[in-house]
Amino acid sequence: MDFKLGEKEEALRKEIRKFAQKELPPGSFTLLLEEESRDEDWKLAMSTSKKLAQKGWLVMAWPKKYGGSAASYWEQMVYGEECGYWGIPGISMGISGVAWVGPSLMQFGNEEQRKKYLPLIASGEPDGVWCTGYSEPNAGSDFANIQTRAIKDGDEYVINGQKVWTSCAHRARWCWLAVKTDPNAPKKHRGISIFIVDMKSPGITVNPLLNYYGAHIFNEVFFDNVRVPASNLVGEENKGWYHLMQSLASERHSFGPSLYGNARRLLEELVNYAKETQHDGKPLCQNPEVRHMLAAAAVEAEMLKLFNYQITWELTQGITPIYGSSRNKAFGDQLLERLGIIGMKLMGAYSQVDPYSKWTKLHGIIQRLYLLFPGISIAAGTDEIEKNVIGQFKLGLPKSY
Amino acid sequence: MDFKLSEDQEMLRSLARDFLTKECPKSKVRELEMDEKGYDPQMWERMAELGWLGLVFPENYGGTGATFLDLVLLTEEIGRNILPGPFFSTVVCALPILEYGDEEQKAKFLPQIANGAAIWTLALIETLGGYKASEIKISARIGDGGYVIEGTKLFIPNATVASHLLVAAQTGEGDKGITMFVVGAHSPGVEVEVIPTIAEDKQCQVTFTKVKVPEGNILGDVGGGWSIVEFILERAAILKCAEVSGGCQAVVEMTNAYAKDRVQFDKPIGSFQAIQHRLVDMFVNVEGLQYLVYQAAWEISAGSPSKLHISLVKAKAGEVYQQTCLDAIKIHGATGFTKEHDVGLYFRRVKASEFAMGDTDLWRERVAVELGL
Repeated sequence: MDFKLGEKEEALRKEIRKFAQKELPPGSFTLLLEEESRDEDWKLAMSTSKKLAQKGWLVMAWPKKYGGSAASYWEQMVYGEECGYWGIPGISMGISGVAWVGPSLMQFGNEEQRKKYLPLIASGEPDGVWCTGYSEPNAGSDFANIQTRAIKDGDEYVINGQKVWTSCAHRARWCWLAVKTDPNAPKKHRGISIFIVDMKSPGITVNPLLNYYGAHIFNEVFFDNVRVPASNLVGEENKGWYHLMQSLASERHSFGPSLYGNARRLLEELVNYAKETQHDGKPLCQNPEVRHMLAAAAVEAEMLKLFNYQITWELTQGITPIYGSSRNKAFGDQLLERLGIIGMKLMGAYSQVDPYSKWTKLHGIIQRLYLLFPGISIAAGTDEIEKNVIGQFKLGLPKSY
Repeated sequence: MDFKLSEDQEMLRSLARDFLTKECPKSKVRELEMDEKGYDPQMWERMAELGWLGLVFPENYGGTGATFLDLVLLTEEIGRNILPGPFFSTVVCALPILEYGDEEQKAKFLPQIANGAAIWTLALIETLGGYKASEIKISARIGDGGYVIEGTKLFIPNATVASHLLVAAQTGEGDKGITMFVVGAHSPGVEVEVIPTIAEDKQCQVTFTKVKVPEGNILGDVGGGWSIVEFILERAAILKCAEVSGGCQAVVEMTNAYAKDRVQFDKPIGSFQAIQHRLVDMFVNVEGLQYLVYQAAWEISAGSPSKLHISLVKAKAGEVYQQTCLDAIKIHGATGFTKEHDVGLYFRRVKASEFAMGDTDLWRERVAVELGL
């Protein structure tokens, strides 16, 4: 056993700190998916993506021939932690492309697709921004229930249907789209395929869906006789479900370290806030309840750190994580949600203030966190779905749904 | 970074698990709860033969030179099997002797611990029940060619069978006024009375009436006792958490097995999400606790203990043990509420584990200090 990171990783940590201090505007701290909403945030995100690409960090996990740096799993983990800590925007360009479209294309795409799409993502280009079309009105947790159809017509497929909760569709150049290609398959999982769809194709309509505090992060996307070249089918027809199970695993896995980084930073901010803020004539930090709430959250942050270490170590040993990605995502979501609640409590009356107003404290991070995390814990698999994965695949319990 | 145990560690663990499963089935645990001594002297001898009692001592003191992490792995197995007896109380006294004892003390005390002849316990806390220097009221005054100890200690584990007591007593004022004494448990003036506890774990009240102690029995320096207590607390807290971690693992395993086996509404109850998700929460917290323990133990072994990482573990363990046992009992239904079922044996140890070496609040406060609060 050994609980120390290597010198290479610690050096990378320092380099990212330098980058963040130099490149980010004062007070800037971006949480997951937030950058997609306001134009000024998106602009900052995309210009940062470009700089991250130049540093060789944006897709550091990828092999060099696809524009990556062939970074080790430990470097990837530290990078995730630090990006979360500094709240660096643009790290995933709307998430899909960097986190799973690229890795999926490398796993089951063909060489032509890799050559065309991977460099666009790797270089941080606007044409490397992707959205992901999975959920539909009647296919949320029960994802295999999707109804959007693709029917082959010569050397094209014609797509009809509707996607919903599609993050970044209003920013994306491409859609990573799951459709039904065989509605008569004996099991619904066996009739699904994955397509690359150009968001500029005729027949696509993107309607914004504002979230409950008015931010435009996700959308509904309609496909009306959208024609897609057959060469845009990724992997095998009707094998999409099995392809996707792999990419969902990488999606969930990529969350853990940045959630830990977020948590560590928020804890630090709240500790400082508690020290600097007077309440009832004495510093907030002298209130035993405040001390204990923050201490309890610090314990859970440490657990999340070790969960990330554990899964990263498994990857270095060539072990495919079975349940760890789900564990880290669900545990991290709960922790961030809790930090939001604690933070709002500490803010007192200021917790009600619009995060972008002049009355806000800590640059509005706490209100944004508090409002955003109920959504994050639903994205990419609800906590309940993650728990089903752990129950079934780690504890060996029967299917519960 | 490496999560893998060495071959030797794997061997120690599987040997311990086999030995304890065979020698200390739950029927034995129940028997020892009722036993006056609270441990099995024959098993104690076997544990000495296996090298467990002097595990971390150098060979010249009869030990095997293992690391603190090895000791933690062994303790985890002991906790998994809830082995009753003075293993923990003896080890937490042996560690400071090894660290602070002079050559004569080490040569005198350690080999006897390693070979099973001596049983020790730490006489630290008193009627206030807290782990602060200010709560140590028992006094040691100079006189009669040594010191005379007077006062009462409470919640002292296994004192009825101990041959030696490591006593924290007041020789002056404040943090600098505490001194550690080695006191023969059978010295004139030492009286021991068992406190009935929920865990039936033989915690005692120990009364000192004009107990004479020679100067040579001082461990470390006069007035330097509280730093020894701190040394003990940090290591003992991790060992206690290792016990808890092992206990939690056993409880999760038995509950998971039950959820697969027990059928209601024509299905195993583990197929219901209300049960399954509860089990998942139990499992994830227990897994996290296990890694927290390993991290702190590894850092102690590597000679770079982290106050924060140590404090985090004891701030969490009590809560995890309690919730794991409560959920386990509920998943077992009425069966889990019976005397015959093992889960209750674990639940009855939750509070004893939490209070040993400082409760959740005390360690959360330490975490808060380390966070800069």
